[in-house]
Amino acid sequence: MKKLKIGVHGLTSCYGCQLKMASLKLAENIEIVYWNMLSSKGEIGKVDVAFVEGSVSTGEDEEELKKIRENADILVAMGTCATHGGVQGVIFGEDYKKCFKEIYGDNNIEFDGRIGEPIKKYVKVDYNLPGCPPEEDEILYYLATFALGSYPEEKDYPVCAECRRNGYPCILIEKNKPCLGPLTVAGCKARCLKYGIECTGCRGPLPHNIAWFDSLARTFKERGMSKEFIKSKMEIFGKQYENMEELINKVFE
Amino acid sequence: MRYVKIYNEKMQEFLERLKNYGKLYAPVKISDKFYDRKEIDDVKKISFDCLRTIMPAKKFFIPPYEELFEIDIENADYKEKIEETEPFVLFGLHACEIVALRILDGVYLDEFPDIYYANRRKAGIIIGLSCLPDEYCFCNLTRTDFVDIGFELFLHELPDGYLIRVGSPKGHKIVDENPDLFSEVKKEDIDAFKMFEEKRQKLFKYYGSFDNIRYILELTMKDKIWDEEAEKCLGCGNCTMTCPTCRCYDVQDIPDIDGKHAKRIRFWDSCQFRSHGLVAGGHNFRPTKKDRFLNRYICKNAYFYPLGTSYCVGCGNCTYFCPANINFLENLIEIRRGINA
Ligand code: SF4
Ligand code: SF4
Ligand code: SF4
Ligand code: SF4
Ligand code: SF4
Repeated sequence: MKKLKIGVHGLTSCYGCQLKMASLKLAENIEIVYWNMLSSKGEIGKVDVAFVEGSVSTGEDEEELKKIRENADILVAMGTCATHGGVQGVIFGEDYKKCFKEIYGDNNIEFDGRIGEPIKKYVKVDYNLPGCPPEEDEILYYLATFALGSYPEEKDYPVCAECRRNGYPCILIEKNKPCLGPLTVAGCKARCLKYGIECTGCRGPLPHNIAWFDSLARTFKERGMSKEFIKSKMEIFGKQYENMEELINKVFE
Repeated sequence: MRYVKIYNEKMQEFLERLKNYGKLYAPVKISDKFYDRKEIDDVKKISFDCLRTIMPAKKFFIPPYEELFEIDIENADYKEKIEETEPFVLFGLHACEIVALRILDGVYLDEFPDIYYANRRKAGIIIGLSCLPDEYCFCNLTRTDFVDIGFELFLHELPDGYLIRVGSPKGHKIVDENPDLFSEVKKEDIDAFKMFEEKRQKLFKYYGSFDNIRYILELTMKDKIWDEEAEKCLGCGNCTMTCPTCRCYDVQDIPDIDGKHAKRIRFWDSCQFRSHGLVAGGHNFRPTKKDRFLNRYICKNAYFYPLGTSYCVGCGNCTYFCPANINFLENLIEIRRGINA
């Protein structure tokens, strides 16, 4: 069997997705061409599939990403930073210089920084591998399908589906908890709900414009939550969803 | 039909003895509000007040996830993963849930029987239990409030025990093998049974018939109520996953990382999800949330011809477990306004 050539890359991120991937036992049908976190050897070169973790938060990120794209047949956005901008994307819409100053003061740090954005804003993304970090079974599934010359089926249904399939109590109904399960892409097997903790949306909003921020905000509102509170919950991972603000505002008009 | 009685004092022993016939599953409380049917060790933990479980009884026959095939990729071969199912006892199914299983039978045991389902169905022993409806129940409107078939034993609450209807050869066997547990039904038990039935009928929220609801639904599909309700909907699928007669599943092949083997799995799907209506070529039969929302109403209110009832058994789960407080029953009552019987 022909080996699947992969590259694994980290832009601005915590390297958690890569770490998760590194902890998995890959088979000999997969050849790592470039993976800077594991080995400083190698260069960004031609691969079948490039997995890109992290958001674009500097000029260097953008350059590197473009180079990765040019060299990869398939590009996979890996993890919520890459797919949605990640937690660092929560300051989206604010003045970068102001934020920078609050954190670094007047220290002289030299890089061309900007607010973290999902990589799809810069290059064509073929597949999304969601998660913060992605789940082991999904990383393996994506790799395995690519290795077979096929492709993975991306989930387009919410965490609620997995919550129901596992029979966990719905804490949004029962305890009025601000659970983001209804608009978050499934795959984690509703991990937080297993422990009775509401979903904070770490896997990012659903693709294909079916993350109903408006309907969920309305449900939260009916349960007595304020607009500010709802927004603060929803923007942690959803800030850069196309029209999140607009959808929430609509409910409070 | 054969009728026997069991006194309350003997119930605990009865539940213990049920374990002789298979693993016993019964409703237990799993959180402040919710119940689920779990394997029972201590029969004292069984809830007799549970009206609805967060996972309907379908989970025992079509599990939320299951492996169908083992696939040998290198040799382009596969093997059905069919396991012997040990007998098991489901205690405390209400009338609607038993009808729901019969509806699933119609779907899974039709001209192309699903062997995975069939095996489990053969192994399942069903013990029914009477109930008093709450505001969510409307099985009277769907004519599924009383069952005459589909159970081994059906227990009807009496002041001092239960009147039992024996519904199958297996049910007879249980009664015959445990003569010390059962007594004869007396005149006062019959009176108590009638009183219970009367009290039960009085507790429903609405009366009349939903026989024509499917057509009313079709005729009112353009009404603005459906835009408003669909707008509220989260597309979360809780309504279908908790529905005892929702039976949609998705199938996926999951290859191993070495590319030599794969498994074919199936898992509960929902028409409230985008990909449910997606077909090859990227066309979607139900592209909008409203399309998906209405699909469930149409599907559940369609006729299940073998039973002459709708696919909806009036259990109220879809409303009770909807995080957006969308009320299936009230929506149907709303479009039916004008019919007073
Ligand atoms: S607890 Fe959250 S994830 Fe689970 S069903 Fe309720 S809203 Fe969905
Ligand atoms: S339940 Fe939500 S917050 Fe928890 S792991 Fe899953 S997506 Fe992340
Ligand atoms: S549609 Fe609703 S009321 Fe009818 S059977 Fe399903 S869950 Fe029960
Ligand atoms: S209502 Fe939807 S999920 Fe349920 S059986 Fe019908 S199509 Fe399937
Ligand atoms: S449970 Fe309620 S909110 Fe969720 S899909 Fe069904 S109707 Fe919509």
